[in-house]
Amino acid sequence: MLLKHRSTRIVLSVIAMLLFMTPGLAFAAGAAAPVEITAWWVWVLGLFVFTFFLGIVAVVAGVGGGVLYVPIVSSFFPFHIDFVRGTGLFVALAGALSAGSPLLRKGLANLKLALSMSLIGSMSSIAGALVGLALPENVIQLSLGLTILGITVIMFLAKNSAYPQIGQPDALSRVLQIYGIYYDEHLKKDVDWQIHRTPVGLVLFTLIGFMAGMFGLGAGWANVPVFNLVLGAPLRVSVATSVFVLSINDTAAAWVYLHKGAVLPLIAVPSVAGMMLGTKIGAKLLTKVHTNVVRRVVIGLLAVAGLRALLKGFGI
Amino acid sequence: MKQETIHADKVQLAYASILGNATTLGIALIIIDYILYAFQLLPLSLPIEQVAANWHLRASEFHHQLDAPLGWSCFSDPLKGDMLSYISLIYLGAVTMLCLFVAGIAFFRDKNMIYTFFSFAQMAVLILAAAGILSGGH
Repeated sequence: MLLKHRSTRIVLSVIAMLLFMTPGLAFAAGAAAPVEITAWWVWVLGLFVFTFFLGIVAVVAGVGGGVLYVPIVSSFFPFHIDFVRGTGLFVALAGALSAGSPLLRKGLANLKLALSMSLIGSMSSIAGALVGLALPENVIQLSLGLTILGITVIMFLAKNSAYPQIGQPDALSRVLQIYGIYYDEHLKKDVDWQIHRTPVGLVLFTLIGFMAGMFGLGAGWANVPVFNLVLGAPLRVSVATSVFVLSINDTAAAWVYLHKGAVLPLIAVPSVAGMMLGTKIGAKLLTKVHTNVVRRVVIGLLAVAGLRALLKGFGI
Repeated sequence: MKQETIHADKVQLAYASILGNATTLGIALIIIDYILYAFQLLPLSLPIEQVAANWHLRASEFHHQLDAPLGWSCFSDPLKGDMLSYISLIYLGAVTMLCLFVAGIAFFRDKNMIYTFFSFAQMAVLILAAAGILSGGH
């Protein structure tokens, strides 16, 4: 218990450090000639350290790195939001690719469920990315702010269901052979599952893909509730399959950003490396901290970032 | 108490295997190539200071002013540090296509035509995006 309190304090200190770091960086970013007074490597090193801590916090709070990365980095670093969104996609993509293999091997992520939803989701994420890169900056900031505030509300209110009960699988899911069985470590037994409302799921994944592509956000915040609460997949299967869907949809949108020149390796690689290192440390801390406390603080942090994007959109 | 049983089918295992190996290689590549780039161990097509002086611009304006790697143009001079770092990101964007190809073949061997179609259709979408046809490439 004492250890848990101590670990929680450490993670909360990390969040405080993030907040402490960002106004300083923001001040430098807002200076008249930031690039002349701050060497490039300071920003790059700062970005690596920042994303490292962000990775720890993201895992402990149970939110995706991409959804924290874009609003916070676009608010407090001098990079244009085009490059931040392109990098956000690579941050989410690298994390999803790394996590995908073990989740598939364990049978938690389901290939058929993922492929059924990702085909339409990836096409809409390409459309979202094209629209996002064509819109004026203030419109992007405004809609990003609204989206992030919406996500904070979803995160705050959403109640997941570990083992949803389904009456009858729908006809489409039967045709698509979407059902499965996995070993549940908590129950210590095999759990059979199937889904319903597949057509509704397809419509929702079209919308989610569009938003993920438009803002460069990972879409775990939306994928998981749709898999779990709408389609009725068990929570563990929903989380694991969501990661897998991310790896496909983010790949599609990432190509748009690559072709439009909205990916700079100078920014993207330290972000990916920092976030991956941070998530590994975060995973080790996961059992030692009060995740609910950290989650509430992170939701608050996200709300501040969303509000800031909204104000930027209004030119304030 | 039941012992843990793995329920992943052979297509999933094939996908997982190629995904794991390709991703590990990809992560190693992006780190090595970035070290070559950031420490300027290879010549650059564009000085880092120039990139940093313009990273506050919209992507379209940035490329209007500078001749930075864009889409497949990085393969025009792959021995430059910045081009190499860009290529490693392109590789990361290609990993899923490779996995889908493996899954498509495995589904075909299983005579599962629905998912053979899904795998190859998904791969086609990503290839069209990578080619710049669906993604507004140049």
